[in-house]
Amino acid sequence: MEPLLFYWHMSIHAAIEEKGSSALNQIEHSTDLEALDAVRVAVLGKKGSLSEALKQLGQVPPEERPKLGALANEWKAKIETAIEARKEILAAAQIEADLIRTRIDVTLPARKIHLGSLHPITRTIRKVSDTLGRLGFDVTTGPEVETDFMNFEAVNIPKDHPARDMQDTFFLGPGVVLRSQTSPVQMRTMREKKWPVRILCPGAVYRCDSDATHSPMFHQIEGLWVDKKVSMSDLKGVLDFFAKELFGSHVKIRLRPSYFPFVEPGAEVDVSCALCAGRNPHCQVCKGTGWLEILGAGMVHPRLFELAGYDPSEISGFAFGMGVERIAMLLHDIPDLRLMFQGDQRFLKQF
Amino acid sequence: MKISYKWLNEWVDLSGLKGPEQLAEILTARGLEVESIDRQDRGFDKVISAQILHKEKHPEADRLSLCKVNPGGGADYLDIVCGAQNMKVGDIVCLAQIGAHLPNGMKIEKGKIRGVVSMGMLCSEQELGLAKESEGILILPPKTPVGWKLSDILGLDDTVLEIKLTANRGDCLSYRGMAREVAAALGQPLKAPKVSPFSGSGSPIRVELDAGEFAPQFFGAYLDSVEVGPSPDWLKKRLESIGQRSINNLVDVSNLLMFEYGFPVHIYDADKLEGGVIRVTRSKSGEKIPLLDGGEIETTGEELIITDGVKAVGLAGVMGGGNSEVSEGTKRVFLECAEFDPTLVRRAAFRFGRRSEASLRFEKGIDPKGHREAMGRLIDFVSKIAGGELVGTSFAELPSRAAFSVKSIATTVDFINGFLGTGLSEEKITAILQTLECGVEKSGTALRVTPPTYRLDLRIREDLAEEVARSIGYDAIPTTIPALSGMPEMRLGNAKDHRLSVIDEAKDALAALGVNEVLTYSFQSEGWLARFGMRSSVPILNPLSEEQGFLVPSLLPGMMKAYLENERHHFGSDPLSVRLFEIRPVFSFSGQKIEAKGEGETGVTERLKLCILLSGPRYAQGLAVERGETDFFDLKAVLESLFETLRTKGIRIRAADSGLLQSSAGLFHPGQSLQYAAGKEAIGFAGRIHPKLESELKLRGPVYWAELDLEPVIGLTPEKEASFKAWSPFPTMERDFALLVDQTLPAENLIQSALKHGKPIAKVAKIFDTYQGTQLPEGKISIGVRVIFSDDSKSLEEKQVDLCSELIVKKWNDEFKAVIR
Repeated sequence: MEPLLFYWHMSIHAAIEEKGSSALNQIEHSTDLEALDAVRVAVLGKKGSLSEALKQLGQVPPEERPKLGALANEWKAKIETAIEARKEILAAAQIEADLIRTRIDVTLPARKIHLGSLHPITRTIRKVSDTLGRLGFDVTTGPEVETDFMNFEAVNIPKDHPARDMQDTFFLGPGVVLRSQTSPVQMRTMREKKWPVRILCPGAVYRCDSDATHSPMFHQIEGLWVDKKVSMSDLKGVLDFFAKELFGSHVKIRLRPSYFPFVEPGAEVDVSCALCAGRNPHCQVCKGTGWLEILGAGMVHPRLFELAGYDPSEISGFAFGMGVERIAMLLHDIPDLRLMFQGDQRFLKQF
Repeated sequence: MKISYKWLNEWVDLSGLKGPEQLAEILTARGLEVESIDRQDRGFDKVISAQILHKEKHPEADRLSLCKVNPGGGADYLDIVCGAQNMKVGDIVCLAQIGAHLPNGMKIEKGKIRGVVSMGMLCSEQELGLAKESEGILILPPKTPVGWKLSDILGLDDTVLEIKLTANRGDCLSYRGMAREVAAALGQPLKAPKVSPFSGSGSPIRVELDAGEFAPQFFGAYLDSVEVGPSPDWLKKRLESIGQRSINNLVDVSNLLMFEYGFPVHIYDADKLEGGVIRVTRSKSGEKIPLLDGGEIETTGEELIITDGVKAVGLAGVMGGGNSEVSEGTKRVFLECAEFDPTLVRRAAFRFGRRSEASLRFEKGIDPKGHREAMGRLIDFVSKIAGGELVGTSFAELPSRAAFSVKSIATTVDFINGFLGTGLSEEKITAILQTLECGVEKSGTALRVTPPTYRLDLRIREDLAEEVARSIGYDAIPTTIPALSGMPEMRLGNAKDHRLSVIDEAKDALAALGVNEVLTYSFQSEGWLARFGMRSSVPILNPLSEEQGFLVPSLLPGMMKAYLENERHHFGSDPLSVRLFEIRPVFSFSGQKIEAKGEGETGVTERLKLCILLSGPRYAQGLAVERGETDFFDLKAVLESLFETLRTKGIRIRAADSGLLQSSAGLFHPGQSLQYAAGKEAIGFAGRIHPKLESELKLRGPVYWAELDLEPVIGLTPEKEASFKAWSPFPTMERDFALLVDQTLPAENLIQSALKHGKPIAKVAKIFDTYQGTQLPEGKISIGVRVIFSDDSKSLEEKQVDLCSELIVKKWNDEFKAVIR
């Protein structure tokens, strides 16, 4: 080989080497995808430096060409790899940069929609209805303005009966009252339908009484079950089920004899204190007695069946009634009855 | 009723009991609920008698004394600092030792008073709860032993039980009645006192019955040589133990008889009776009777009164007359023990505001066969305690009363066991009834039971079942679950009718829409209703207060009260958000007079309403700029979403112009309210509160509220579950229109018109934009309407949609002068 030619060959060789390493260097130092792409075009593009160098291969003796060609391809591959690698790095950096740019303070407040609530009285009526519904009770309602007959006489409280003292009633006119109990619904239902009857009657009732533990308007749920061969042990069973479902399977019930004109025998029903079970003499819930009075109950007085048009010798039945506020206060630890009717959202939103 | 343990023990042997607590358990288990147990010695623990040994002035305080006292029991003296001056060396005083907890709540602790240690406190009567006021400390009699417990010295060893008697057990309003129950429970005999017999004649004053069945029997007794004076200590103490004040020996014995036997009796000063007769009769209207409490009543013609043939001397069963009462100088007395009608006594006692221990007992009914014995006991008491000598008695009785006997009750063992769910033997049931002094006759499987005359409450076989139940104890009744029998007419439980279900669903939907359920009173004051231009047609005749005088014709006034309550306690700079709803009836009456018709009609209408109130930020939380402010369209959205959730069909809206607002005058902003109709029936309004009302009520910001009749909504809500509807498989096409219309045109009219004239392919029409600005002519607005076309059976063609669109545009122009921009 002639020395001059050799040098010339050498110079192409060197040029490839030089352009190649210079390109690698530029790739290494490119700071964004655009700059990187500019490097690619400048080196590998149609008019790129490596391409230019390769164009001169034609002037090289044929025996040298494969060597130089291989060299050039080697560099090309090297550069492409480097570009790809760099691209990955830069793309990742770009995302990183975007992440920083689009960062928000996630501890700022959420854009919360309003959450509504159901009144504890509604919740309690539903809970009681759902619980007893599983035993076969239907829910039914009636008017809040009632006749004296339906409110009193139909439930065996005739005029001048001492039991009228038990309830101070609001009057609207001769023989017209705001019902003082939901019992009229029982009579209305029995007059409408043949037995068997299994109903729950929830609703507002009214009595002239207002203090920390009495509201002139409050709510009751009464239950009535009339059929052949209904016994007082059935009443106990239903109430026991009810108490355990509502207050926990560990509570017990206690029936104490009492008197309501519409039942015979009558009973006041207590549940054992779910909180202290009678073990805490200073218990806030049961006042240390271990028992909470929650409802009144009894076997339906035959007089009611007569008034309903049923034959008392064919059937028997039991009835019970509870104050919804009282149950709601126990279920939700509400300390003051008056909170129920004030409309204060600080109260309402807790349920 | 108060019952003294010691006193009761004289009627029935309580020695087998562990104490008052066990007695209370027994009574409560039998239906005589013991409400409280009050030990008289409560608070006297560690209070003893002590003698003053030495007394000197406190070195640091002139008003205090330093005493050395002997607490007895061989102990050394104790140093006591005392604020009183009324004691001297040698006096026996009451010493509250360290650790005592006095009846007035004071706890005695070891402490220094002005630098001197005091080892207890010398007590006054007031501090011991023995008197309401007292001066100085209590000095005990000189011979009182030292170191004794104060409760022993004062004889405060009794316990008083407060019993809540039910209305049916008038027979237990006495020691004798209570003792019968206890005797039955314990299997003990009753310790009845011996009563001297008397013959029914010889009284200078005779008794006469002149009130028919209202006064069927009357015992009178005439006693001479009585001496009125203070009662003996035992009697005073006995009455005081149950909270009664001692007056004099005659008044006290009549009370004693009443509490022991349950028979109210009266004692007249016989010398003040004029006509030689005591007659019970109905009053005439307008008679004036002076009563012994100093007052005077005017009769109505209904009451039973007592006359002496010349003047009225008492309101029978309620109170004696002031003109015949016993006084200090009384020498001769006339005793009355009679039966008066419970209802007439009750009414008279109520009418004249004079319900008393006596009238209460008459009201509840008294053993019709017990008067003779009670009178005998009273004569014994008066003779023994006031020294009277019986001159003679007089007795009158209606034949019907003489023939009275208690009706027997037929029952069977099977009935009682079936009714209670028990399995008691015939022997057991018979024994229980006999213990309660019932006569029991057996014939085959039937039992014929005759209750004692004092048990007026036992009338039917169920009453007997109750006697058995409370005797064995309700705890002894088994627990069973009743069988569900077939029921052709009613569902098998756990079901509510459609109406109640819709109400429940509506409540759930509203809660889910961020509204809080509230309950307000059904009554408001006349004045508060008037602020909303409302009047109630249903006033309450006996309201608790003016504030609660009228049943509400609308839920809005109560809702506003609830809103204001939330405003009232809202402090700070955070915006107040109030979102409330209520579903409750309102009340109205359109007749002449509210009066019951038949057994079940009142004429008062109850209409179920839904009321909603919204105000404050649109979002519950967020940056101020993003939270926004609730406006009319938020309220409209709540209602639309509610109807959508319920699947209610056929609710229509109309912009509430002034004409429509007649019925809601002044409640809603006329330009920001909507009338709702169910089908053709108008059911209510929704809108911004009227600015005038807003300023009158000084509201902090705009309030949006609505009130709708709920029953028509329920009527338009399907009962059936939702059924699946397929959507068109063919693509829809849409056209947007920008229309220039008068500002006053309700945009909804454009929608309704497009749907009507675009049938059947114009399926949806909606407003997507509005624009008002200076580029538009005065009074005009641009409304963007998008109409979506589709056909369920084939693909639409452009031409078809274009034709339909042209028709819609033409109709818009015809009907509303709307032009395409």
